[in-house]
This record gives sequence, C-alpha cells and structure tokens, in this order.
Amino acid sequence: MLDLSSFNNLQLDAIREVGNIGTGNAATALSKLLSRMIEMDVPKAELISIYELAEHYGDPTEIIAAVFVRSLGDFACSLIFIQSEEDAGLLVDLLLRQQFGDSLPPDLPQEMLDSALSEVGNIILSSFLNAINLLIGTRHQISVPGVAHDMLAAILDVVASIFGQMGEMALFVNTELKLDGADGKAISGKIVMLPDPDALELLLRKLQVL
Amino acid sequence: MENSYNVGMADMVVVSAPAKLITLGLGSCIGLVIFDSVAKIAGMAHIMLPDSRGAKKVEKLGKFADTAVPAIVDEMIKKGASKSRMKAKIAGGAQMFALPGTQTDFLAVGARNVKETTEMLTKMGIALVASDTGGNKGRTVEFSTTNWMLTVKTLGKGKSEI
Repeated sequence: MLDLSSFNNLQLDAIREVGNIGTGNAATALSKLLSRMIEMDVPKAELISIYELAEHYGDPTEIIAAVFVRSLGDFACSLIFIQSEEDAGLLVDLLLRQQFGDSLPPDLPQEMLDSALSEVGNIILSSFLNAINLLIGTRHQISVPGVAHDMLAAILDVVASIFGQMGEMALFVNTELKLDGADGKAISGKIVMLPDPDALELLLRKLQVL
Repeated sequence: MENSYNVGMADMVVVSAPAKLITLGLGSCIGLVIFDSVAKIAGMAHIMLPDSRGAKKVEKLGKFADTAVPAIVDEMIKKGASKSRMKAKIAGGAQMFALPGTQTDFLAVGARNVKETTEMLTKMGIALVASDTGGNKGRTVEFSTTNWMLTVKTLGKGKSEI
C-alpha cells in the first residue's frame, strides 16, 4: 500500500491541481444556484497527522456546521463542507430568500434549514467530485448528504477513524469558497476532500505521477 | 491547585491526585477513565478505534480500545494502584452523521468503540460504574480527582456529572 509519509512535491502538486479543477466546478455550480459571484482560494494538498486534525483546522471545541458525503466507486473518498454556524445560517438564508423572496417565514424549523444546507452542500461537493471523476475517467456513486452541527473535533473524528485504521497520516485537499450574503456580509465555506488510501494510489497512477 | 492535563487524540495520561483530566470534542472516540480512589490514582485515554488487529503497528497504546485498557491498568499499578479497587467510567462513541441508504460501517465506529471498551473492561475485571455513550452529539469530558466524577458536556444538553 501507498506510504503517505513518502509523498513527494510533484505528487502533492498533482493532487492540488485536481483540487483546483474540483473547486472550479463547485464554484461554478454554486454561482449558478445563487446567481452570485463566487471567489475561490488556491487549494492546498496537505499531509496531516490524524492526531492533530482538529488543531490544524482551528479550535477543536468550536461549533461548526458540516455537510458530509461519501463517494464510492474506484475513487472512494470522503468530502466535507465546513462552515462556521453563522456563515451556514447566512448561506441558507440566501438560498431560501431566492426561493421565497420576502414572503420567507421568519421562524423556519431547524429540519427545514438543515435540509436546505444539506442541499447546498450536496451541490458543492458533488460538483467538486464530478469534475475529478471526469478528469481521471472513473465512475462514482455518491451518498445522500449528512448534516451535523457540533464541535470541530467531534466532526473530524469521522475521517480520523477512517485513516486511523491504516496509519497516522491523512492526505487532505482543502479549499475555500467565498461569496457575499444577502446584506453584503461575507460568507465562506471550506471544502475538504480525503481520498481513501487505495483511491490515492489510483489517482496518482492516473495522473502519471506514480 | 489541581494540575490539568489535556488528553489528545489517541493519548493516554495516568496521574496521581490532585489532578484534572480533560478531553475535548469527542465524536465517535471514547473518553475512558479508570481510577483507584484509595491510592488516589487516575488514568484517561482518548480511544479512537475498537481494535488493533487490522493495524500494521500500534504507534500509540491509547489509540485502540484493546490496547488502551491494559496499558492504563499497567501504568496505574506501576504508580501504586490496586487492580481490585479500580473502577471505570466512559463517555463518547457518538455517530455524528447518518447517511441513509449507504453502506456506512465506518460511521458506526462509535458504537463499536463502546462495545470493545466495555468488553475489555469486563475481561480485565474492572467495574464500569458510569457511562454516557451513543447518540449523535459530540462531548467534552473532564474528570476530577477531588470527587472522582466525570463531567460530560454535550451540545444542546448541557452538563451532567456521572
């Protein structure tokens, strides 16, 4: 199996480029959905110790909103869309206002808000993944999205436990999307992709850097 | 003044009283405490996974339920604790996401962590005196050797002492 600790810069660059293509597609899809300009960051491909995941992303006890999907197929991976609670609220508000206009009822139940959030997250993450599968010529099947509002560290346990079985490091592709909310307030969200260890090997081979 | 120890992911800490053992943001992981209130010794592990059988090597004994339990017990005995007086408390093992219709064994790792930890304790003859496990919310735990209580904070449910 692939030894994550022996990754070279060429391989990390190739993976970052894959992240770039995914992010571009995700930003386009979000832009169409919300009819807004979306700014995207240059993605990073990083090898991180699974024991320090939460610290790497921020305060382990910070409450965040996360949308999680699993992709199965040749290129199996986990994808998470992470936002601060405030930003997730603004994003949902933006989407719902677009649908309902000013007739948007003020006290929507949490399930309804979560359903909207999971839909936005799903569109972002599936677009990200579609671009990658198209690039490397693999087929995939994506799960329904799951939503959670909880401590950053608790959320990241999900991915830490997948990688923990295999070793101590995980490869993350990180990127950030930014847009302006309804009242001009900036909204941002992080896309995090973690290819399963077997999928990484396939990805590198397809990119001809293995 | 109590010393506070933050027990990071897959870590294990054994201390003599007075001390406070803290683990932040447990999702599917388990916060396991074993203590001997007579010898005044306590240990905490932040367990990530149920068993080490599939692992190539065990880098940290606190990582797996089947290695963490015996490792804490050994370390406590070295410090002067008696196995017959040891008691255990656990918290954690939640399932953060549910994805209907998907094969999601890996999402249920929390439940397997609880099961394996409980079985290991039974195997070693250590009484599990309190637990707060499962559900779909993360927990933060704090164990104090002043009253040997484990304070569990859960989002939306507040604080409880077990």
